[in-house]
Amino acid sequence: MNTLALPAREARGMSPAAVAMWLLLPIALVNAVGFLWPVVNLLRMSLNESEATGALIDTVSLATWRNVLTDSFTLELIGNSIGVSLFITLLTLVASYPIAIYLHRSSGLWRTVLLVLVIAPLLTSAVVRTYGWIAILSNQGLVANLLAAFGLAPPRLMFNLTGVVIGLTEILMPYMILALLSGFGRLDPRYEEAALTLGATPLKTFWRVVLPLTAPGMALGCLLCFVLAISSFVTPKLLGGGRVFLLATEIYDQAIVTLNWPVAATLSMIVLVLFGAALALYTRALRRIA
Amino acid sequence: MMSIRPDEIQGLKQAEGFLSLRGLTRRYGNFNAVDDLNLDVAKGELVAFLGPSGCGKTTSLRMIAGLAPSTSGHIVVDGHDITGVPPYRRDMGLVFQSYALFPHMDVARNIAFGLEMRKVGKAEAQERVREAIALVRLSGKEQHRPAQLSGGQQQRVALARALVVRPSILLLDEPLSNLDAKLREEMRNEIRDIQKRLGITAIFVTHDQMEALTICDKVAVMNHGRLEQLGTPLDIYEHPSTAFVAGFVGRINRLAGTASGGLAEVAGVQVAAPGFDGRVEVMVRPHRVSLSAYAPPAGDDRYALAGTVARATFAGDILEYEVEAGGVLMKSEAATRGGEGVLAPGTPVILSWHRRDTFVYAAS
Ligand SMILES: Nc1ncnc2c1ncn2[C@@H]1O[C@H](COP(=O)(O)OP(=O)(O)OP(=O)(O)O)[C@@H](O)[C@H]1O
Ligand SMILES: [Mg+2]
Repeated sequence: MNTLALPAREARGMSPAAVAMWLLLPIALVNAVGFLWPVVNLLRMSLNESEATGALIDTVSLATWRNVLTDSFTLELIGNSIGVSLFITLLTLVASYPIAIYLHRSSGLWRTVLLVLVIAPLLTSAVVRTYGWIAILSNQGLVANLLAAFGLAPPRLMFNLTGVVIGLTEILMPYMILALLSGFGRLDPRYEEAALTLGATPLKTFWRVVLPLTAPGMALGCLLCFVLAISSFVTPKLLGGGRVFLLATEIYDQAIVTLNWPVAATLSMIVLVLFGAALALYTRALRRIA
Repeated sequence: MMSIRPDEIQGLKQAEGFLSLRGLTRRYGNFNAVDDLNLDVAKGELVAFLGPSGCGKTTSLRMIAGLAPSTSGHIVVDGHDITGVPPYRRDMGLVFQSYALFPHMDVARNIAFGLEMRKVGKAEAQERVREAIALVRLSGKEQHRPAQLSGGQQQRVALARALVVRPSILLLDEPLSNLDAKLREEMRNEIRDIQKRLGITAIFVTHDQMEALTICDKVAVMNHGRLEQLGTPLDIYEHPSTAFVAGFVGRINRLAGTASGGLAEVAGVQVAAPGFDGRVEVMVRPHRVSLSAYAPPAGDDRYALAGTVARATFAGDILEYEVEAGGVLMKSEAATRGGEGVLAPGTPVILSWHRRDTFVYAAS
């Protein structure tokens, strides 16, 4: 039997696990330098304190954390951010789902054209797209003028939560559609046909067959959009007009305007914790679906 | 559901069956997948669809089930034109050629789905699901997901899922194709049993001629999207109406010849061919051709042909000879009997067959 084996070659070769380790090394290094190190720095910064004058006190204490977590304003801020992000995520899901289903079922050139249309917004920056929404939603904007032409009093669509929700939903839709599409692998028209022949109405078919089969895509899309929504800054800043208080905008204000770095760092760490929570929720949902 | 009298379907033959297809056509571009299909299936009848791959069997079933639109034609059930009725209101069961089991449900929930949709009570549903699972020999696999089952097991779940709702029309698209011979026979008898007991009208697509001939009341032979012949298994086998049917169902010898004056000349034999002129195809089934050392007595209504054995194939239960006679190769088979040798190639023999076993068709 010895003659049949490939002894020398095999002994010198690496096991698949070792090969994988080596291939993962570069990204692990980049991540360590580009992500872990800054996070550790942030954590360190959040353990500092700042004086009432704004001067930084180099120390190791949980005072900033305590202040942030007992301040009713920041607590409301956190609650608000979670609520608004969840709402935007839900809205994005509802708006994107039909489009993703339609895309999943189309084929050929038409599908390619539609896909390009979905991806195209990602090629322009969120800043540009937000300014686009300003042109549409502002008091002299498209919607207001259109409503005025019909003799209707235009509602305030900008510099409030409505504007932020509208803008972010549109900006997040491409991500949601792509995530949904990637999760639609198990959706096959034959399952719907089977349900129909078994007497299920189209609505029943949707609830009992289509929705469960697309759940993995929905979970992924929701995770992605929630994370993007809660960390989005430009759109809430511009469309909120300083009247909508969310975590990301507050971090900016604390870091750049008030120059209270420990508080900014603490809030950033809280956002990171929220990411972790969302991720945990996603894994649990995925396990339940599978 | 629009109620119309069958004779109101303009320009079409009156519907006679419980399920009637009238000029059913499905066109893909300028290719007719199903071409002017006319068929009547009586209530409680089991009809086999037999035909080569791609002849339009699945497409026909999908149109009957309401899953695919027809390009033209009508589907009539019990006197009602249901052509535009959506599938969930047709009360039909369809066993998909590709199973189409719900991947996110286990075996029991897959099977219970149709009962749930029909709002069958929980206790009754459970009992019926249990029965159906036992029927397809899958007891103990209730909690398995489709992905955890073998191909044949999945196919049986698909069968149980369609049977359990007891639809008025059952459409089976090769429901046993993935089973071993023994299970296949058991299942086909179970299907026949249930179908008879509940008076279900059924269409059974199969590539297994034995299956079609043994359990079906009628066989519909299809080719290129058209119905070649509809008849009882005996009809189809003994009186094939076209050369295609004769060639497709069962084994057959095909001999080319020329007809004139009511006689066709093939391999040096004059065969009765009333009404034929020009090139013809003469066919006779191998097991109806007997092989002997002597010519049959005159006036025995048999055609005889002298030849020599070219090849002998022993297949256990049958012995097949290929005989060279009159410039053609002809097959003759017979059940083997003990204590019999096999003739060596080159042995001179006389082939003979009965006039009534001879089919003549105009050559295409
Ligand atoms: N969507 C489609 N577009 C174009 N042609 C199609 C389409 N679906 C089916 N066909 C064609 O229609 C014909 C009939 O197909 P069908 O599936 O009904 O065959 P079948 O008799 O069920 O064959 P098999 O025994 O292999 O299952 C085939 O030639 C097929 O190529
Ligand atoms: Mg088929």
